[in-house]
Amino acid sequence: MTELLIRNACVFDPLNGIRGDVMDIAIRDGRIVESVQNNADVIDASGFLTLPGGIDSHSHVCGTKVNFGRYMSPEDMRAGRTARRGKMHVTSGYYVPTTYGNSYRYSTMGYTTVLEGAMAPLEARHTHEEFNATPLQDMLANTLFDGNWSIMEAVHAQDVKRAAAIVAWTLSSVRGFAIKLTNPGGTEAWGWGGDLTGIRDPVPNFNVTPAEIITTMIEANELLHLPHSVHLHCNNLGKPGNYATTLETFGLVPDLNKNRQTLYATHVQFHAYGGSTWRDICSKADEITKSVNAKPQIVMDMGQIMFGRTMTMTADGPMEFNLYCLHHNKWSNHDVELETGSGIIPVLYSKKSLVNCVMWAIGLELALLTKNPYQCLLATDNPNGAPFVKYPEIIGLLMSKRYRDEECATLHDGIDQRTSISSIDREMDWNEIAIITRAGQARALGIAAQGKGHLAPGAEADLAIYPIRCDDVDPATEYRKVVEGFQKTRFTIKRGRVVARDGDVIVDGANTTFWVNPTIPDEHNVANDPEFVKKFEEYYTVRMSNYPVQDVYLPRGRCIKTEADI
Amino acid sequence: MRVILEAKVRKKPFLPIEAESIIPRNFLKGTDLAVYEGNKERKLVDLFRISVEGTAVTPEKIEVVLKGDTSRVKRIGEYMDAGKITISGDVGMHCGNFMSGGDIEILGNADAWLGREMRGGYILCHGNAGHYCASGYRGEKTGMQGGRVEVLGNAGDYCAEYLTGGEVHIHGSCGDMAGVEMKGGQFIIDGDATRPCGNMKDGTCMIFGTVRQMLPTFERIGTKKLPDRKVTVTVYKGDVANRGKGIMMVKGTGRSDE
Repeated sequence: MTELLIRNACVFDPLNGIRGDVMDIAIRDGRIVESVQNNADVIDASGFLTLPGGIDSHSHVCGTKVNFGRYMSPEDMRAGRTARRGKMHVTSGYYVPTTYGNSYRYSTMGYTTVLEGAMAPLEARHTHEEFNATPLQDMLANTLFDGNWSIMEAVHAQDVKRAAAIVAWTLSSVRGFAIKLTNPGGTEAWGWGGDLTGIRDPVPNFNVTPAEIITTMIEANELLHLPHSVHLHCNNLGKPGNYATTLETFGLVPDLNKNRQTLYATHVQFHAYGGSTWRDICSKADEITKSVNAKPQIVMDMGQIMFGRTMTMTADGPMEFNLYCLHHNKWSNHDVELETGSGIIPVLYSKKSLVNCVMWAIGLELALLTKNPYQCLLATDNPNGAPFVKYPEIIGLLMSKRYRDEECATLHDGIDQRTSISSIDREMDWNEIAIITRAGQARALGIAAQGKGHLAPGAEADLAIYPIRCDDVDPATEYRKVVEGFQKTRFTIKRGRVVARDGDVIVDGANTTFWVNPTIPDEHNVANDPEFVKKFEEYYTVRMSNYPVQDVYLPRGRCIKTEADI
Repeated sequence: MRVILEAKVRKKPFLPIEAESIIPRNFLKGTDLAVYEGNKERKLVDLFRISVEGTAVTPEKIEVVLKGDTSRVKRIGEYMDAGKITISGDVGMHCGNFMSGGDIEILGNADAWLGREMRGGYILCHGNAGHYCASGYRGEKTGMQGGRVEVLGNAGDYCAEYLTGGEVHIHGSCGDMAGVEMKGGQFIIDGDATRPCGNMKDGTCMIFGTVRQMLPTFERIGTKKLPDRKVTVTVYKGDVANRGKGIMMVKGTGRSDE
C-alpha cells in the first residue's frame, strides 16, 4: 500500500464544483481517497495551482501516419535534441518528435491522458506499439470508419444495427476507443481521384452521402452505448466558404445522450472559413459558435494554429493533395485498403500571410465566443495546427486580452476586416481553463466514470501542480507568468506517483490503453456473418483471423465493456 | 598566430572524434577546448599535441594547422567565421558545416558532407571529396547559400545538392545526381557527371566532361562559345518537369539533339 498526501493545494476541479479551495488531497494505491494515515509521504504544494491531470482529446502522436511524418522530415530531428539524463531517454524532433519526446513534453506540461486522433484499423498494431513507448500518458485510439466499405454498404441498406455490429467487431478487434469519421466518404472518393464537395454528394460506387454516413454512425454509436460520441472531422476541411458545410453537418445532429454530447466536432477552426477563395477568406466563427451555443449536443475543439513550422497529417487524403498544390513541398499519400487513407505535408504558418493570421484568429474566436466552456475544448490537432508544446501560449491568449492585442499588432493588417478577434473582451478564468484542458475532455470522452479529469474520492490520482499562485498572478496582465507556469509543472503525478518534477521526468512510467468492447448478441455478430467474412477473404490483404490485435500489444490494456441495444 | 595540432596515435583510430570546437575564433581564449571521442568528452590536449606560435587579437589572424591522422576527425571548422584552417592530411565528415567566412585548405581527401550548408568563405580540397559535397542536409530545402568550394580531385554523389548560392568547382568528375534540386549559384564540373541537375529550379551548371544518362527533361535552347575555355557547349534549360529556369551547359552528352 503506497500513500501520498498533497498539502496546501489550490484546487480547481470543475466536475466536482471546486473553485480555488486550498485543501489537502489524499492518495492511496493510485486513487484519490478521503484520508490517509499519518505516515504517508507528503508533498507540499505550497498554495500552487493544482488541477486534475491534463487530457488531450485530439492529438496525433502515435501510429503509421505520425511515423511517416518522421520519415519525411529528417530535418525536424535536428531540433529539440536532448541527451539521455537520469530515467529520460534521448529525444529529438520538434513537430514530429520521438515517442519519448512526446511523452516527456506532455508530462512536464501536466498531461496524463492523450487520445490519438486517428488510427486506421488495419494498422492498429503500429499505433499500440507506439502507445507502449509513450509511457507517461494513458492512451486512447480513435478508430477510422470514414471510408469503410462494409459500413457504407450498411448505410446504403439503412441498417443501423448492422453498422453498429461492424463498429463493435472492429473496435474490439483493433482495441479502439471511439468512432472517428474523417471527411466521411471523401477519402474513399479520393481513391478514385475525386473528392466530395459537400455532405449531400454521393460517394462513388456506394451511392451513400456523407450526411447519411454521419447520421447512421451517430445512431449506431448510441446503440452501442460507447463512452465517447462520434468524433467527426467534417467534410471540406480548409476550403474557403466551408463554414456552410459545417453548419449543415451540425444541423444533422439529434440530442441522443443526456450525459454527454452526441457529436464531437474536431479542429473546427479549419472548418469555419467564409469567403470563396483564399483571397477573400474571412472568419465565420460567429456563425459556428451561434450554432454550437444553441446545440448542447455538440462539443468541438479549437484546432488552434500557432505561427511557426509544423507538419499536417490527416486521414483526409484529398485535402492534403490540395495543400500540396499550394505549397509544392514534400507530400505523401497513403491508401488503407477497404478502410481509409491519409496524407502528410509540412507547412509554415507565417505572420506575413493573411490567410494564416485569419486562421489564428478563428481558433481563438471559437473558444471565446462559445458560451459554455465544456463545448469548446483546447487542442491544436497536434501537430497540424501547432505542436502541443504551444498549449501554454494558447492558455495565455485566452486569459489575456492584452496579450491578444499585442499579438494582433504583429500580424497582417487585414486581420481586423476579416475577423472580430480584436473586439472580443472575454478573458477566461482559472476554472474555465481547467474545463477546456481536462474536465471538458473527460466529460466529452466519457472517461470521467473511469476516474479521469476530476479529483473526487475514487478518481485516478492524476494531478498537475503548476508553479502559479492564483491569488498573486493577474493573468490579464501577467500572462508571461501564466505561460511559463503552464509550460513546466512543479509536480506531475500519475496514478499516485510523481512522474515529473520541474521539467524533468523522473520515472520510466507504464501507461494504460483504454479500449471498448461492446457486447453484441450472437445473431448480430458480424464475425459469424458469411457475407462479412467473404468480403474479408476477397478484398483484404490479411486474413480475418490475423486481423485482431493480440493482447500482447496491450500489456496494460483496460477494457470498457458496454451492452449494446441490438 | 599559428596553432599546430598534431593528432596523437590512438589505440582505437577508427573511433570518430567530434571536433566542432576547432575553429580559429575559439583559440583566442587559449587551447582549453573540449571534443568528443565516441561518446566520451575529452580535452583537446588529450588527443592532439598542441603548439602555439605568436599571438593574435582577432580570429582573422589565426591559422590552425592539423597534422597527423585526422581522417576520423569530424566537424572541423563548423560555424567558422574567420581565419584559416589547414589540414595536411585527410579530414573526416562534415568539415566546414555552416561556415560563413575564412579559409579551409585540405591537402588530402575530404570525407562526406564537406562544406554542407555553407554560407560564406572558401574551401579548397586538393584531393577527392566524398558524397554530399557542398550540399544541403537530409530533408532540408536549402543547401549551400554562399562562399566557394573548390575540389581538385573528384567528388562523390549528390555534390552541390540544393545549391542555393555561391560557387562550387569540381576539377575532376562527380558521381551520381550532381546539382540535383539546384536553386541558384554556379556549379562547374571539369570532368564527367551522371544524371546531373534533376529537378533544377535555377542557377547555372557547366559540365566540361561527358554527361552520362542526361535527363530527358532538359530543353535544348542553343549553343554557346566559351572563348576562355576554347569550347562550344550546348545550352539546356530545365528541369522542365518542375518548371525550372536553371541553365545547364554541357560539352558532350549521348543525346541526339546536341
